[in-house]
Amino acid sequence: MTKMNRRKFMTLASASGAALAAGVGGSRKALAGSVKIVEGGKDFSPTTGKERQAIPTTCWQCVTRDSMIGYVEDGRLVKLEGHPDSIRTLGKICAKGQAGVNQVYFPDRILHPLKRVGKRGEHKWKRISWDEALTEIAGKLKELRDAGTPELFMYQYGRHKASQAATMYDFMSAYGTGTIGNHTSVCEASKWVGQESLWGGMYDNWDYDNTDFVVNFGSNNFETHTNHIPTSQRLIRAKVDRGVPLYVFDVRLTNTAAKADEWLPLKPGTDGAIIMAMTNVIMNEGLFKKDHLKFMRVTKEFNATEDQKIAAIKEHVAKFTPEFAEKESGVPADKIREIARGFAKAKSACLVTYRGAVKHYYGADTERGAMLLAAVTNNLDQPGGRVMGVGAGWSHPKSKKAAVSKALHIKDGFPGEVAFPTHHVSHQVWPMIKDGHHGRPKVYWWSCYNPAFINGDNKGVSALMKDESIIPFQVCTTIVYDESSQYADIILPDVTYLERWDWEDMVSANQIAEFSIRQPLVKPLGEARCQGDVWPELAKRIGFELAWNGKEDFVRQSCEMTPGVKEAGGFEYMKKAGVWHDPNAKPNFGFFAKEVDVSGDGVILDTETGVYWNWKKAGSKSADEAKKVGYLKTPGAKGAYVAQKIGDKAYLAYPPNTKFTKTGLLDFYSDNFASKGLPAFPTYTPIPEHQKMAADELIMTTYKIAVHTHSRTAHCKWLAEIKHDNPAWINPKTAGERGIKNGDPIKVTSHVGEFATTAYVTEGIVPGVVAISHHLGRQHSGIYGSGKPSPVSGGAEADSDAKNMWWKKHGVHPNVAMPNWSDPIGGSQRWFDTPVKVVKA
Amino acid sequence: MGNVRNDQADMAQARSNVYGLLASVFRAEPTTDFVNLLKSPEMSDAVAGLGISIEQILPDLPEDKLAEDLAVEYTRLFIGPGSRISPYESIHVENESNSSGEFWGKQTAEVKVFIEAAGLKYADDYVELPDHVSAEMEFMQRLASFESKSRREGKNEDAMFCKGIQKRFYDEHLSKWIPQFCEKIIDRSETPFFKEMAELTRDVIEFERENFSKKSDA
Repeated sequence: MTKMNRRKFMTLASASGAALAAGVGGSRKALAGSVKIVEGGKDFSPTTGKERQAIPTTCWQCVTRDSMIGYVEDGRLVKLEGHPDSIRTLGKICAKGQAGVNQVYFPDRILHPLKRVGKRGEHKWKRISWDEALTEIAGKLKELRDAGTPELFMYQYGRHKASQAATMYDFMSAYGTGTIGNHTSVCEASKWVGQESLWGGMYDNWDYDNTDFVVNFGSNNFETHTNHIPTSQRLIRAKVDRGVPLYVFDVRLTNTAAKADEWLPLKPGTDGAIIMAMTNVIMNEGLFKKDHLKFMRVTKEFNATEDQKIAAIKEHVAKFTPEFAEKESGVPADKIREIARGFAKAKSACLVTYRGAVKHYYGADTERGAMLLAAVTNNLDQPGGRVMGVGAGWSHPKSKKAAVSKALHIKDGFPGEVAFPTHHVSHQVWPMIKDGHHGRPKVYWWSCYNPAFINGDNKGVSALMKDESIIPFQVCTTIVYDESSQYADIILPDVTYLERWDWEDMVSANQIAEFSIRQPLVKPLGEARCQGDVWPELAKRIGFELAWNGKEDFVRQSCEMTPGVKEAGGFEYMKKAGVWHDPNAKPNFGFFAKEVDVSGDGVILDTETGVYWNWKKAGSKSADEAKKVGYLKTPGAKGAYVAQKIGDKAYLAYPPNTKFTKTGLLDFYSDNFASKGLPAFPTYTPIPEHQKMAADELIMTTYKIAVHTHSRTAHCKWLAEIKHDNPAWINPKTAGERGIKNGDPIKVTSHVGEFATTAYVTEGIVPGVVAISHHLGRQHSGIYGSGKPSPVSGGAEADSDAKNMWWKKHGVHPNVAMPNWSDPIGGSQRWFDTPVKVVKA
Repeated sequence: MGNVRNDQADMAQARSNVYGLLASVFRAEPTTDFVNLLKSPEMSDAVAGLGISIEQILPDLPEDKLAEDLAVEYTRLFIGPGSRISPYESIHVENESNSSGEFWGKQTAEVKVFIEAAGLKYADDYVELPDHVSAEMEFMQRLASFESKSRREGKNEDAMFCKGIQKRFYDEHLSKWIPQFCEKIIDRSETPFFKEMAELTRDVIEFERENFSKKSDA
């Protein structure tokens, strides 16, 4: 190139002028309006006296969804804080919540729709317009729908809740596919299945505000939990202000265990033995409370007497002595007795369980055992006990359902694999797609989900996603290029949660429902678009209409139709206030004890079970026929449940609000379980694979930490700085047997795969176990997550803090060696059951 | 006097045109129409004078194929995913407060405020960040055009004021990052088109330094 001079410049300018006159770029201007520099534009020194806006919204880093205030300056989000008016969070958020700022300004964010132009995984892309992207996607979806095979469109999500889920399900229902996958089996599915089989619903809250005693099995409540901020601060307050005893059973010395009165290390998967042994002590020592017995069914008999029930429970738990539990778990029998006595004698007590207890073989049964322990001590849905969570009940617009609606049977695991997949078996979706015997989607669209990272045997999933012969068309909505989106055919740029509308409904820790909304703090960056705005547009192109025209409209309509929120001022009120709760509401306890009027039209009593039900609502032909067939044998009768007759009263009791057909009694004897050949009464079943482990094998477990989620925060630089490495925890005894010293490189091998890491030798973990957290080891997701810098400036490498990245390690992910084993009852991926060999590398 | 005025008006309009061209180059993937305009004899000659061969930078391929190749290259260079040269000022500029490298950083806000202070606003359908290279180029195009018009209408004070604003924007923004940005493109391009366009842009920005340093506006 030769040097520019005036003559050349003018020639170029002349040609440029001609080009511009011919309309180059004419339709895609950045700026509008006209230059008004003299006649008075804005003040030309506006850098002083900036205005800072405070906007209420709701977090989404994890499922807790704390209410927040976002502060915006010059159109830039500068800070996030807890919302002081929230009765759930009491004005607090966690480190993850504060680092939400990193999500918006993550420099490797995907900001435009992209179309793959190379092979899958070749990383070769072309930017396309939203119009092109939606036209192509709509074309594929319309073809499937018109052919009467809408089920060949599969949508799978990781984190969709409240209105994000409602808008998606509304679209899918109007389109006609039921092939919708989730992620819950890599979370706590078995816990919910255990609960649903009993009290007919799920999501227990722990009433720490009123409790006198807390026993915790495998929930690291002070660091992480699905309702972390609302519950953890209340537990710490109970402990510090009121001296409430806290006992933590955990494989690892978590920060929750560290702050407990006592940490009780146990062998993985033996929580159930201890829980049953505690019940054994309480029953045999006469420490049980009779109050709840009338709501419990403990044998086949529906109308057993109190004495019969007590005798039956004693008989069921007889073999689970504290000595037996000690043998299984390693926890001293006397200690189990001591804690059982303290638990039973306390005025009120919380029995806490989470993944540590339930993500095992028969984890759902362990949860049933925990419910039994809470019931016999009268700590179910009572102040200070284990209570049914109370969330906000929003009303929302609904679109017309599709005439043809079908689903592929690939969401619930292989036939016979899981007895009650009520929360699906998401980790088996890809293995089932590979198998192909139950159908394969032709279009697979995932959002806020990373299947090639978060599932067991994730390298296997990765290979399947890459193979174009398995699923021919893959769409991903994401903010970040990651292990899965690299295999998409079209990538759609998602908004972060700080750029979108939602209403939220997470459970309150104080038993009073809190309604909150999420609103954009800043305009979506680039061409990022909310899924809730994509659905109506896509529907139009396919040829149907939704009852709302975007996420904001959906939220607006919901605010205007939800009782309470509407009267408070609806959408405009929520935009200003962010949160609302009924100021006259009382904490919701003891719903089961509500007496019900059974005089309504069509209500009959089922004499076998004591259930009042409405034969008309159930669709029976006549009252006589309904009585003849009976409540339990009439399909659809559970939807017509009215009340449970106990003595001479009709109680709401525990209605069958889920897929389980049951009476209003707590089904500690479960026909549902018996019919599937599963233990009808809660029991303890040792992990089969642990019974036949070789002498040199260890059990691999995993865990969460305070500053990361499973797959959505590795690229948040503030969090990566705090936690970017995850050496394997191993007990000195176990390490010594293998010649492993602290910091040594080690190799962890299972029958699925192997990975290399380093050893963290610590007394903070039981012998015989190796524990690796599951947030790190990213292959993609930008420089902070994966450590892979861009080859040249730009993208993440240009981020000012990239220069300050002092750490070189990025951790490992245990999923490489984690099989996709399911709990045969509840379908949870068995996260803590894998036998591995660990050697010094 | 009239000649000087016309001369200055012409120069301002010329600068406006060149900024307009550069805005178009970086705004989006080159369209087929744009490619054809570049291939026009007038433009070919103009850039040939600068040592750029249109035939070399735009290979003789079917229109669709050429546009497709340029779109893939544009995506690779400026959009991602992964490694790319972010086309935003705030990513590239160093400053004392070490707030560089941020999406929607300090400079982004400054550019937005600057542009809005000049009476302009971002178009409703504009989806990029306020400090995208093409928005900054377009801003200069608009200012220079205003200057030219003011000169022709004899509003010399307006024109001088407008020139001063351009200089300020050039000093505070364009000159602070466009040269480095262009070097990165030159280094990183796999096809000649964006490499040559980056060289052209770099040279225009350098030429502008001379324009702004001249004592003018008699």
